[in-house]
Amino acid sequence: MREGELGKTYNDGEVIFKEGEKGEVMYVIQAGKVRIKRDSTSGELTLGVLETGEIFGEMALFDRLPRSATVVALGGARILSVDRKKLFPTISRDPTLLFKILETMSQRIRKLDDEIGKLNKRRSELRIVCSNIEKTCDTILQEARRIIVADSGSVMLLDEKEGYLSIKAAFGLKSDTKIRLKIGEGIAGDVLKTGRAELIDNVLTDLRFLPGTTKVTSMLCAPIGCEGRNFGVINMSYASENVFSANDLKLIRALAVYASIAIQNEQNFFNLKNATDDLLRRATLPDAP
Amino acid sequence: MKRSLDSDQYTLQDGANIAVVGGGPTGSFFSIFALKMAKMIGREITVTIFEPKDFTKDGPGGCNRCGGIISELLVQTLAVEGINLPDTVVRKGINSYRLHTNQGSVFIATPSLEKTIATVYRGGGPKGTLGQDMESFDHFLLNQAIHEGAVHKTFRVDRIDFRNGRPLLFSKNVEIMQADLVVGAFGVNSSSGKIFEGLGFGYREPSNVTAAIAEISMDEDVVVGRFGNSIQLFLLPDKGIKFGAMIPKGPYVTLCILGTDVGARTVDDFVSKPVVRAVLPESVPYRIACRCLPKMNVGAPKKPFTNRVVLCGDAGSTRLFKDGLGAAYIMGKAAAKTAVFEGVGAHNFKRNYLPVYNGIVFDNYFGRFLYFVIDRYRKTTILTKAMLKVVEKEQRDPKNGKILSSILWDMFTGNERYKNVFLKSVKIKMHIDMWEGLIKSLIGENR
Repeated sequence: MREGELGKTYNDGEVIFKEGEKGEVMYVIQAGKVRIKRDSTSGELTLGVLETGEIFGEMALFDRLPRSATVVALGGARILSVDRKKLFPTISRDPTLLFKILETMSQRIRKLDDEIGKLNKRRSELRIVCSNIEKTCDTILQEARRIIVADSGSVMLLDEKEGYLSIKAAFGLKSDTKIRLKIGEGIAGDVLKTGRAELIDNVLTDLRFLPGTTKVTSMLCAPIGCEGRNFGVINMSYASENVFSANDLKLIRALAVYASIAIQNEQNFFNLKNATDDLLRRATLPDAP
Repeated sequence: MKRSLDSDQYTLQDGANIAVVGGGPTGSFFSIFALKMAKMIGREITVTIFEPKDFTKDGPGGCNRCGGIISELLVQTLAVEGINLPDTVVRKGINSYRLHTNQGSVFIATPSLEKTIATVYRGGGPKGTLGQDMESFDHFLLNQAIHEGAVHKTFRVDRIDFRNGRPLLFSKNVEIMQADLVVGAFGVNSSSGKIFEGLGFGYREPSNVTAAIAEISMDEDVVVGRFGNSIQLFLLPDKGIKFGAMIPKGPYVTLCILGTDVGARTVDDFVSKPVVRAVLPESVPYRIACRCLPKMNVGAPKKPFTNRVVLCGDAGSTRLFKDGLGAAYIMGKAAAKTAVFEGVGAHNFKRNYLPVYNGIVFDNYFGRFLYFVIDRYRKTTILTKAMLKVVEKEQRDPKNGKILSSILWDMFTGNERYKNVFLKSVKIKMHIDMWEGLIKSLIGENR
């Protein structure tokens, strides 16, 4: 860049202003590009790239809030600053000076509207993905029902934030789908904790058993998990005692392995969806500079 | 009832024709904003700029004869308007001034050291610069107006009559256009003022003084080495010269001298002064490539408008000695706003344009007072010394405030209204500092 030109020259990666700083000036790009970025839990996030002639940093002048993002030069940029103390008296004398700033702001609002539209569409798609976790659990349960005779059953998954098991899929009359079990609580909670599948001929004699609305006597319970981390259980039960065999225990254990893979995939996808959601939400926040 | 009829009569309708006499910055600014504003309210108007001069030409033929400084405030305001000065137009970005007096010199810089002042050529540059990678400011702005939709015609308007209450423009006695509004946007060096005087509504050409401008040619490396990104300002105790400035522009330095007694020998006399010679290179050659004695508007006409006619820029009110381009922007835009949003009747201009016009006239009273004070300082050795001491101290220790530096910066960059500069000058702290500087200078003199 020529030495005699207007503004201040910033080298590639040089910070023009930082997120959280007080904003006293807005900027107009005379030459080159700048990158608007923000730190997030998932790392550094690029909110946008602006080019020659575009303005940035104007919002802090009007809302007097700290800078909402960091702006750095992208491959070198020459930037002209416009001082708040000079700009506002000029606007006061000639309010039409705001026309161009309003035009820029409305273009950004339109862009945000478009992005929010795209985000909503993506959210709808993700909601389908989200409902697929229950669908996967239901498929697992249907498969278990096909190989093991039982009059009720459920797949419970661990809510890791809250630390309890809840039912994601169930079958059988009077199934208590609202039941919540802490880790170690009840037979299912204990199986989750120990990671050992169990065959119980009569739950009524088991001290861990917590009676619910469904009549249960015989029970098969296997942990769902992988790499030493359990995140759910699969239960099959019968109203009569001594119904399940050792072979049933083997079958449910094997099924639990495949169930673990399927649910883990769903959960990974769900986590990925959340991360994407977060990124999109941050990228379309209306307080971008 | 009459008012509403007048309003309808003088409101620009779809298909309205505006004639702009003069395609310098005022005419271009008017055209750009009139067209932009008309688009905003969905009105289709035609703006025709009559400008015979070719601003791409080098030498006096394409030049509008001015120092060519665009103030920090105007650079920033234009950037906000979306008018960014391209590198081909800006000859040099300025971030500092060096003030020279007979008692020494002092450096005054922008706090950020950002280059916020632009030096430009109004035409294609000094004779012989044609073909170099440069564009004149006036040509750039005229192109911006054309880009907005203005039509540029190279006719010289030499007569205006009224027919059925609407102005009729002639060139070489041939009718060229009937307009709904005529905008007089010519300079004080133009002959167009007589045409508007002839309309009989009371317009008289502005009073003026003569300035001396010269282009000093030297090697570009020498200009960079000796001048850098600074303007050299001279406040010398000479009679008849208020101040002189050397403005770096690539391989040239524009010398601009303002005063009440400026003539053909002023440039030669000025460059032979020891303080000035000390700034110019000793061992390498330099030559005065071209020179002129343009007029400068120092007194605004009292009647700058009538029905369907308005005068602005140098033809109307402009800032005293400084920032004529800033005034061109303010007045061109004020005239455009009035014409498009309010109407083109005398009552519209009186209500909306005149307050802005008078604002500049009123501000110049403060300017006259400030230049009077500066005259006292430059002519009185002890005051000159005190002023230098205060500025030196302020530049050395900015934490204690930079009131005098800021006053001088704003005065000579045209960055601030004279009224605001005046308000800064009445601050008690500055006077305490000045007294301190004065005492130190007196002690120094007696030793």
